[in-house]
Amino acid sequence: MSDDAPAGDAGAVGAADADGSGARPSVDTQTTVIARTVVRVVVPIILVTAVGLLLQGHNRPGGGFIGAVLTVTAFVLVYVIFGREYLQGDLLGVEATDDGSHTVVEYYRLLFAGGLALAAGSGLAPLFVGLPFLTQGVLFVHHVPLYGEFELASAFAFDLGVYLAVVGGLLTILGEVGSE
Amino acid sequence: MPIDSATPKSANADPVGVLETVLAVVLLPFVGAALTPVVYRALGERTAYYAAAVAAVCLGLVTQLYTTGAHGVASVEWVPSLGISLAFYVDGLALLISFLASGVGVLILTYSGGYMHGEPGQAKYYATLLAFMGSMLGVALAGDLFALFTFWELTSLSSFLLIGHYTSEADSQYAARKSMLVTVAGGLFMLVGFLLLSWAGDTTLIAGEGSLTANAGSTIETLRAAGLFVPTLLLVGVGAATKSAQVPFHVWLPNAMEAPTPVSAFLHSATMVKAGVYLVGRFRPFFLSGTTGGHGEGTAEAAGAASAAVAEAAAATVPEWTVVFATLGLATMTIAAVLAVGSTDIKELLAYSTASHLGLIVAAFGVANSYGGEAGAFHILNHASFKAALFLVAGIVAHEAGTRRIDRLRGLRHDLPVTAVIAGVASLSMAGVPPFNGFYSKELLFEATYEYAHEIGGLTWVLPVVAVLGSVFTFLYSIKFLSLFLGDRTEELGHVHSPPLSMLVPPALLAVVVGIVSVDPMIAVNALVGEVYGSTVPGDAHSFTVGLPTTLKPAVVMSAITIGVGALAWPQYDRIHGAVRTMLRGPVRADWWYDNGVEGLTALSKAVVPRVQTGLVRTYAAWVLTGASALAVGAYVAAGVRLPALALPEATTLAVGVVLAVAVVGAIAVTDAPSHVAGVLTLSILGFMVAVFYVLADAPDLALTQLTVETLVLVIFLLVLDRLPAWYGESDRLTVARDAVVAGAVGLTVAGTVLVSTAGSPDTIAGGLITRAGLPPGEHLGLFTGYGGGQNIVNVILVDLRAFDTMGEISVVAMAALSVLTLVRMRERGETQ
Repeated sequence: MSDDAPAGDAGAVGAADADGSGARPSVDTQTTVIARTVVRVVVPIILVTAVGLLLQGHNRPGGGFIGAVLTVTAFVLVYVIFGREYLQGDLLGVEATDDGSHTVVEYYRLLFAGGLALAAGSGLAPLFVGLPFLTQGVLFVHHVPLYGEFELASAFAFDLGVYLAVVGGLLTILGEVGSE
Repeated sequence: MPIDSATPKSANADPVGVLETVLAVVLLPFVGAALTPVVYRALGERTAYYAAAVAAVCLGLVTQLYTTGAHGVASVEWVPSLGISLAFYVDGLALLISFLASGVGVLILTYSGGYMHGEPGQAKYYATLLAFMGSMLGVALAGDLFALFTFWELTSLSSFLLIGHYTSEADSQYAARKSMLVTVAGGLFMLVGFLLLSWAGDTTLIAGEGSLTANAGSTIETLRAAGLFVPTLLLVGVGAATKSAQVPFHVWLPNAMEAPTPVSAFLHSATMVKAGVYLVGRFRPFFLSGTTGGHGEGTAEAAGAASAAVAEAAAATVPEWTVVFATLGLATMTIAAVLAVGSTDIKELLAYSTASHLGLIVAAFGVANSYGGEAGAFHILNHASFKAALFLVAGIVAHEAGTRRIDRLRGLRHDLPVTAVIAGVASLSMAGVPPFNGFYSKELLFEATYEYAHEIGGLTWVLPVVAVLGSVFTFLYSIKFLSLFLGDRTEELGHVHSPPLSMLVPPALLAVVVGIVSVDPMIAVNALVGEVYGSTVPGDAHSFTVGLPTTLKPAVVMSAITIGVGALAWPQYDRIHGAVRTMLRGPVRADWWYDNGVEGLTALSKAVVPRVQTGLVRTYAAWVLTGASALAVGAYVAAGVRLPALALPEATTLAVGVVLAVAVVGAIAVTDAPSHVAGVLTLSILGFMVAVFYVLADAPDLALTQLTVETLVLVIFLLVLDRLPAWYGESDRLTVARDAVVAGAVGLTVAGTVLVSTAGSPDTIAGGLITRAGLPPGEHLGLFTGYGGGQNIVNVILVDLRAFDTMGEISVVAMAALSVLTLVRMRERGETQ
């Protein structure tokens, strides 16, 4: 699936290019009750699924990138149905400033910066024990309550970095384009 | 054929110590340059002496290399994955150039302390000058093609800054740009030559064990077999010719006099232009490896052909090296000497004379006999000593008399007695008058050309004739320079100050060097020049002697003709000067070609840019996509890639066929969509069908990703769409046809790329990844790093086995987010600020 990430990138870049002309969010205040109710129910499920995909990626379909894109889809649903102010103010608890919604983008930026740092940091760690950059290790722990044998993969830290970087990056793009 | 065997000081030094010393020599000037701004804050104008001290330490280290008899390769790994090492090579030639760069550097920096008094930008000046010296030391000591190229370009860069020192003056800007364009362009040609050399020789080491020079025979055979020997020679030659200001690339050198005079002196004597000559000397043993190194060399066949005296036969036996460099050098020597006679400014005269003398060195190295190597090696030293002195004298004259115009200056000895003596010694040496040191090397050149012509015959008789002709003009302009100090003072020359001691001592020291070498040239030959000569010949070098001639040899006759004709022509100097100036009109001037070339290219870019960059996304997309497709297809054609045979995979089911057919219908429908929203929705049919195809093809990860990404992209599109105009107007048929062609070409290229790349997937990579994605065999205890330990191979490849790729991809996501931030938020600021 090494080509799925570029596909996502291409989508993101395409959006970035297209927004050069600016966009007025087509948030109708007149969304239907059905839509609102469905979204209310569906969004938590999507988020849980996304986290599940992130966690199970090592052994089953999923992984950081898919989880991230799914998470962003949940945000987009809230955004489209309830509007930007609800998403940022009520849901995320960020005060809107005078000039619009730029403050919340600062958090998104922290998210992708942190993701990149986590991924790069997890790659740097093996250097201290004399292994090449980005070497991942797998540790099997035995006699864990409930699980019995449990597999700890250092690749998860990297995957989490991927997740955070993609969520942060896509939300930044959406936030910027949406606030136009 | 190792060169070491012939030199008296062979590899008896500790190689580790050599490496450390060489590294110190090369890096110290750069460290010194980095510290200069800090030092300048503390010392002010006395920074000159700090910089001179740095140069003096370098000189000391070079001396240490020399006295310990260091010789050979010293290297550290640089880019091991590309096989590039930071290799240095120490031998006679490298030491001579290092001595010149650091020794003249000390003098120049000391002199600058007086000359640059009260000038602006001194911290930048000294820092750049030190970096310039460091780059030149790097060029001299580099033992690896790519290290050489790096330092080579650093000299271009630092000389650009130095020539353009007076940043606000149009002349400086023009001169700096010119030198940069010419030398960097030449450097790129040289780089291509280096790539060919490293390909053919399978090494990037220039000299020493296992190097290009050591394996010259087989390397040249490889090059000749591929028909690339002459192109390689020419490419390396263009690099040397642009750097050493050989005709017709000499255009930048006279303009470079816009730099402060100490820079000119440094640039013309010990650095920059000497780099080209160094390159010629360095590659001489490689390109001439087919011929022997002794006196009267040349094979029996060559002699036989010569006796036939048929021009074609003679040309066939002359090595390409000689054809290129002897011709280039002698042409430069003569043309630049004529131009020097036509100069009206003392620095211009000296600049052309530099080009002329470099031509002499190149010509000498070009001649494929031992006298040639001797003449070139010896003249590098002689030219550096007298030319640096003369430039510093010119600086004193310009500084103290306030003018550089030749027709205004006369009788300067009354005001500048010491300077006059220095100028006398140096310009007589430049003229090639015995017993000054310039005479000895010029005599060797005459000997080289005469012996060569005598041996080969035919067209090669042109060589000694042109050598004499060029020397006559050299004699004339040298005497002209000297005459500035003779005769009576002119009245228009105002009060002339005495130069400060810091400006007088450096040229005086150089004159003393000229004097010592003049009195006993064998001191220089025994000390260093003999070894330099050894570096420039293929095979074993023999010892050589120089001295005043005692018998009537042909070369003596040639010298006598030179001086005699020069003396006869001297009374007519003004007439010759006038004739040269009237001749220099229009296309005869190389400057005409440069100026018109640059203007033409500027006009061309101005005409092209509005067509390629219209500000419309459509145009950009069309150019970028067409360009990328053309490059890809071109590469496939060049590499002889063939399309694999098309075949339906066995696993194709009816369901897959239906899904793909729907996708195709969706794609076609996009072109006919009535609105943007309809278009985007239709396009997403294609996307979702691809996702379904992934499901059918047992690729759940791909399907998941495709679905989520498709959904997200759809939403983003819809957010943006209502800001786009709904109607772009009627497009004419031509535009439609052109767009169709572009789209078709891009589509076909992508389809072809997919076919070619999927057909070529080697099983070894896939097999290795499959093995390593799972668990290692046996008990799973403790930590293991060689295996992914996961069951989802896609994810394990992404985050473990090929994590570096993913790292790049998430960086791209972050970059895209940053660009959106920048574009959207800073749109208001724009270029109006």
